[in-house]
Amino acid sequence: MTEAKDLAAAASSTDPRTGLRAVVALRKLLESLEALQVRNARKHGWSWQEIAEVLQVSKQAVHKKHAGRET
Amino acid sequence: MFERFTDKARAVVKQATSLGEQLHTKHIGTEHLLLAMATTPGIANDVLTGAGVEAARVRQDMETFYRGDAEALEAIGIDLDAVRAKIEETFGPGALDFDPPPAKKSWFRRTVNHTPFTPRAKKVLELSLREAIALKHNYIGTEHILLGFLREGAGLGAKILTDQGFDLRQLRELTLAAVPAKT
Repeated sequence: MTEAKDLAAAASSTDPRTGLRAVVALRKLLESLEALQVRNARKHGWSWQEIAEVLQVSKQAVHKKHAGRET
Repeated sequence: MFERFTDKARAVVKQATSLGEQLHTKHIGTEHLLLAMATTPGIANDVLTGAGVEAARVRQDMETFYRGDAEALEAIGIDLDAVRAKIEETFGPGALDFDPPPAKKSWFRRTVNHTPFTPRAKKVLELSLREAIALKHNYIGTEHILLGFLREGAGLGAKILTDQGFDLRQLRELTLAAVPAKT
């Protein structure tokens, strides 16, 4: 139970470390998710243009970031 | 760059990558190399074991460190395990963990951007070559990887060792003492 309490405390904590750590973790998760979803979209035949539109970035940006990972 | 690696040194690198899969990390970092050296036979293993480095403890520290992500996300109300479960339901086990395997198996021969090795882990492997050259060895063994690892000295692997109270410089001495005499 103390663990749950610690977590509750962390959530409301104003310690920058806690908040920044969450940002890093979230960014990592985001990157993984993006790679996975872009891969899936490509597998479904989506063009880079279509993917870029949904992701709200330029076609070049998506291509530069993900094209190299294609198999 | 792997041409001069001995079979045991190759086994360490291979083990490091399979540890990445086991531990669900997307990257292969210095910590994977450390744990690989601690679990794969070779001079590096002899030195580490002799110095009192325990593979189980290293692994535990790695898991604790990775667990930090899940805890940090929990603090802002995101259940990483739940996210992972949901994703895997659709895309299969491990979907969140890895970049797609490149077309060819021999990914380590491809350009650096295609390897899952972190810059520090790559640096360790580069330094292992330099250590071998400095010792006038024409091969790269596990001992050279360990020397490279200790010289790099700033990755998570090194942090785990120093946090456990090991002195990297002393380990370096022990490794050099264990290097076989040049024939």
